[in-house]
Amino acid sequence: MPERVKTGMGGATAALDYDAELMLRVKEGDGASFGLLLEKHRSPVVHFLYRMVQNHAVAEELAQEVFLRVYRSRSSYEPTAKFTTWLFRIATHLALNSLRDGKNDRSQERLDGGSSDLPARQVSDSRPSVEQAMVYRARLDEVRQAVMALPEKQRAAVLMHKYEEMEYSQIARVLRCSESAVKSLLFRAYETLRARLAHMA
Amino acid sequence: MKCPIETRENAELLLAYCARTLDAESTAILERHMEICPACREFAHGQRAVWEALDAWEAAPVTLDFDRRLYRRIDREVSWWHLLMRPFRPVLAGHGLPIVAAACLVVMAGVLLQRPAGTPPVGQPQAAQLEALQPDQVEHALDAMRMIGEFSHRVPGDVADSKM
Repeated sequence: MPERVKTGMGGATAALDYDAELMLRVKEGDGASFGLLLEKHRSPVVHFLYRMVQNHAVAEELAQEVFLRVYRSRSSYEPTAKFTTWLFRIATHLALNSLRDGKNDRSQERLDGGSSDLPARQVSDSRPSVEQAMVYRARLDEVRQAVMALPEKQRAAVLMHKYEEMEYSQIARVLRCSESAVKSLLFRAYETLRARLAHMA
Repeated sequence: MKCPIETRENAELLLAYCARTLDAESTAILERHMEICPACREFAHGQRAVWEALDAWEAAPVTLDFDRRLYRRIDREVSWWHLLMRPFRPVLAGHGLPIVAAACLVVMAGVLLQRPAGTPPVGQPQAAQLEALQPDQVEHALDAMRMIGEFSHRVPGDVADSKM
């Protein structure tokens, strides 16, 4: 499927990303297009939220809310920005609210008490020894704690930059700040992470 | 080239280099610079370590019933509203909402203006009548009690007088 398609809008041909095209179909009542959007963005949204709040159950609950809001807003949807910008703006907003409300208090317990959220296949696929698994878990906890210690906006910027491979301009639109502010956020965030994680090299 | 560490504008070059998203030409220029710049070398080394550490952090897979739960919520939370609004959808299509809101305001204003300000509501006279009658009834009851009291006082006296 092409990522960007051309479509006629208001007499002029405007470039519209494929997701926005799908969302416009959802607006017209095409439920299958919503299914396609869900299929494509389910994992990225859940994983982003998981890394933001560091609790899988809370992340899935928030992701449900994200897609529910997308569906609810279908009638008023206008493709003024990339679909993923809108999607991640909703996700970031919900994650920040959740963190401020302290809904994911359990995540801190898990960080302190071990990584119960680890995907099972990471350990079982390669059959590492108990020692290797423990080292892996310790390193992973260190990474998680380092990311969790970042200020919320820096954390969101790093996660979108690193895992979603978003451009600075898109991160800026998601976080509603300037592109130079995003660069500054990322630079400071990576600086902090280097100080905490450089020994892992 | 200007040292990326010294000029913050170029710092993104280093970040892109470590993320392996920098184009080949810029990569070559940066690598030549790093051969003579220990600060950039150190930055790149540390940043690569961060990148690899973050790479190791895989998120757990999404639970299998995620979609089912979502569609159930959509059915529960959205469908009722959809059904409720279905009769009004032709009116609300396009820019219908402001028109409907304006129409509602006009109807409300009309109702308020039609009703004369001094006219009491329909149920009010009966209630007022009831309230007006209540003191009379109490007065009558008190008079009756007073009369009964006087009567009961007089009757023994009258009887005694008649005996004398």
